[in-house]
Amino acid sequence: MKDITAVQPTSSTVALFATCMVDQFLPEAGIATTRLLERFGVQVEFPQSQTCCGQPFFNSGHRPEAIARVKATIASLESYEAVVLPSGSCSAMIKVEYSHLLEEDPGWKLRAENLSQRTFELSEFLAVWNASTAPRSPGTRTQLSATYHDSCHMCRLLGLRSQPRQALAATGVELLEMAEPDRCCGFGGSFSIRMPEIARAMGVEKLHQAERSGAQVLVTADPGCLLHLRQCADSQDGRPPLLGIEHLASVLEERTR
Amino acid sequence: MTTTVRNFRQTARIALDDIRLQNALDGATGRFRKERDQALQELPDAEALRDHFKVVRDATLADLGAHLREFESNALKAGAHVHWASDAAAAREVILAIARRNGVRKIVKSKSMAAEEIELNAALEGAGFEVIETDLGERIVQLAGEPPSHIIAPAIHKTKEQVAELFQAESGEPAPAEIQALTEIARRRLRQVFLQADLGISGGNLAVAETGSLVLVSNEGNARMVTSLPRIHIALIGIEKIAPTWDAAAVWLSLLARSATGQPLSIYTSILTGPRRPDDVDGPEEVHIVLLDNGRSRLVGTKFEEALQCIRCGACLNACPVYREAGGHAYASPYSGPIGAVISPLLFGLKEYEALPHASTLCGACLEVCPVRIDLPRMLIALRQASVSVGLPSGNEVRAFRSAAWILAKPARLKWVRWLLRVLQTPFKRGSRVLILGFNLPALAATPFRNWQRKHGRR
Amino acid sequence: MNSDREQILNRLSRRAIVPDLPAGWSSRRRFEDLAGRFEHALQAARGEVYRVGSLEQAAGKIASIFEQAGVERVVCNREPVVVEIGVSLVRSGFELTFPGEAVDFRSACAGAQAGLTAAVAGLVETGTLVLHGGPGCSRLVSLLPAIHIAVLASSQFTGDLFTWTSRRAGKMPAATTLISGPSKTADIEQTMTIGMHGPKRLIVILIEE
Repeated sequence: MKDITAVQPTSSTVALFATCMVDQFLPEAGIATTRLLERFGVQVEFPQSQTCCGQPFFNSGHRPEAIARVKATIASLESYEAVVLPSGSCSAMIKVEYSHLLEEDPGWKLRAENLSQRTFELSEFLAVWNASTAPRSPGTRTQLSATYHDSCHMCRLLGLRSQPRQALAATGVELLEMAEPDRCCGFGGSFSIRMPEIARAMGVEKLHQAERSGAQVLVTADPGCLLHLRQCADSQDGRPPLLGIEHLASVLEERTR
Repeated sequence: MTTTVRNFRQTARIALDDIRLQNALDGATGRFRKERDQALQELPDAEALRDHFKVVRDATLADLGAHLREFESNALKAGAHVHWASDAAAAREVILAIARRNGVRKIVKSKSMAAEEIELNAALEGAGFEVIETDLGERIVQLAGEPPSHIIAPAIHKTKEQVAELFQAESGEPAPAEIQALTEIARRRLRQVFLQADLGISGGNLAVAETGSLVLVSNEGNARMVTSLPRIHIALIGIEKIAPTWDAAAVWLSLLARSATGQPLSIYTSILTGPRRPDDVDGPEEVHIVLLDNGRSRLVGTKFEEALQCIRCGACLNACPVYREAGGHAYASPYSGPIGAVISPLLFGLKEYEALPHASTLCGACLEVCPVRIDLPRMLIALRQASVSVGLPSGNEVRAFRSAAWILAKPARLKWVRWLLRVLQTPFKRGSRVLILGFNLPALAATPFRNWQRKHGRR
Repeated sequence: MNSDREQILNRLSRRAIVPDLPAGWSSRRRFEDLAGRFEHALQAARGEVYRVGSLEQAAGKIASIFEQAGVERVVCNREPVVVEIGVSLVRSGFELTFPGEAVDFRSACAGAQAGLTAAVAGLVETGTLVLHGGPGCSRLVSLLPAIHIAVLASSQFTGDLFTWTSRRAGKMPAATTLISGPSKTADIEQTMTIGMHGPKRLIVILIEE
């Protein structure tokens, strides 16, 4: 795997790339991400020209549409010293796939590579950000046990497994691992629409494993996984889900107030 | 019949509802995965070995013609016959001709994916030959009249009760539903067949160009029987299964069983170089090696060439969360799982297997475990692109993606389309989901995040 | 019209830049306790290992295994160490058949309760025996009977597969078999059963001088 770790950010201003899923379906994760970053002394800007990183088009084989989104996204973000995303899969799209998609255009490819180096998934950013600006934590934190779902692109393409866990542990969360934290939840973007029964079976298996961990909440850094797992939890024979399902940003924000 | 998404889903649904099969799939794939991980950890340098293997396979395919010619030359020197088959029909013809020429009646077969691929059994039986599968799992599915459902564990979907029924129906003798007893019955019955057969047909795990040797691995010992007892042995092997040297073969063998089942080596590794020599005690008098192309050569030099590096270990099946739910039959191909999703369309037609590139969440678990580090997710996306290029997706699907691209091109557009969709979604809204036209989609949030940002932040 | 061979080779035109085959895999596994590793690896595959100090002890051990298992008829490879052990086994009353003696050696193998061979080498890393087929050495002796006993000297140990393949030279026999345990299958309900088509027991008599 080529080294795609982002370089240390030098400025305290970051661009937040919310992702189309957060923007349209899960705004609370975007709000939590903004508040969390500000609490860490980061100035968050939201380039309003952003819409979608292009991953749904790329994954479904609609390459020209994907490239249009890729170029537009680069143009929205490249003037910032750092870009933060509350999504592992969209971060991977920018950091890994952007330069491949623009292989045939050296000028754009270079712009993509530059952006890759300055793009961070949220917990990745928190891990490298200077923590001396961290807020003082409240005296006693409420007890919370969580099991973390490693979303596929985040753990396999970006290698980010310890960062989200460390971020949770730093707020006093007790981590209880499920049997296969990195087993795919079944979302897969259009897969969950194209083959819903299989996607659901995969989601239910993940939820069972999460429940068996004994944790009070299932945490993921990917909005796609989150929405899919919540849907699987809702339709489980009418019984209420045994554990909460939350975005990493929401949990961290709540526990650092 | 093409494997459409609907067909795939239909067959998968049967597998999803079969609790026993789900447990069997989970158990077997889980065990294989765990043992594979342990076996690789036991090596001091498994990652370096995989990297090395990748370089070897890549270099081999880059000059495949030369290595095949070297293999042929050495195999001929050792006294074997070498046949080249451009496609499945040619391979079947060669094998039928050998069987006819030698007045063969009874044929024993050991496991061969290539033989499944060319539908050899049907052709042989159609021509009046008796063909008996000897790998226990293959024999079970043969008796059941079903295709195998996993590369390594073909009868993973059968219970011991079902096996007992099959054995009973075949022999007319009672068979207890007890695993040790059933194994003993199979051993006894197949032993008779081995001793009577006049032709043995096998596949080949790899072929070593340096000495013109064929290598077959097995745990049961049936590959040894099939290649030692009958007077004639025919081996069918894909042209991509060439190891140029014995060093390459050793790397291959070091990774094959470890990746498949976690064994350091299979119980038996048979290295066969030509027919028996004049002073040998036993062995076949005639050895025929059939080199099968059937679409492989077309991939060399393309972005899909990497798919030919596969050594058929099955590790990707055991890792794939989609395969582990859907089972092998849904793929409707001799090659299922992640590798099957890539090579079935490539070898047998994108239209014929249009569902398979979509039978994946692109999670990457397959790439993680592949001993040759084949980038299957990359090729799945490339196949999806190819599907779009040749117009396979429905008009509705294409329009949906094009519309989405158009909407997302301008935030202002997104704003008013969103407003429209919010209105339209209202009657179909169920909690946080929208149920419309058979689809279950997330409901649009009341206020998009960008609105909050406009109020809260800058820019 | 082009033959299939020509068609295939034409389609496989050489890539413009062909990467060289890399230099051979150079790392080799080394073990301090060769016999211990061999034993451990073979036992993990449900093979049996008996360690003895001499050929005489080997013969004695084999005789006692035969007695316990109720073996009467044995087929043997014509290898020096097997021939020598065979003499004492015949004296103990077992019926031995060597290649060339029986009109139908294959039937002798099918009817024997045990097969006795030597080995060309023992791969320590994986607990593997290397057997060649050839003059006097049958492929069926180690395959058809339910028990296969192989006599191996510790001087025949080789570290790993790479060491063995890198020492390989000259003409290959028609059949070389690497044996790493008794036959097995898990094809019914994924439950492992020892003894499928090949021998149900693989026994190595290891002579450590």
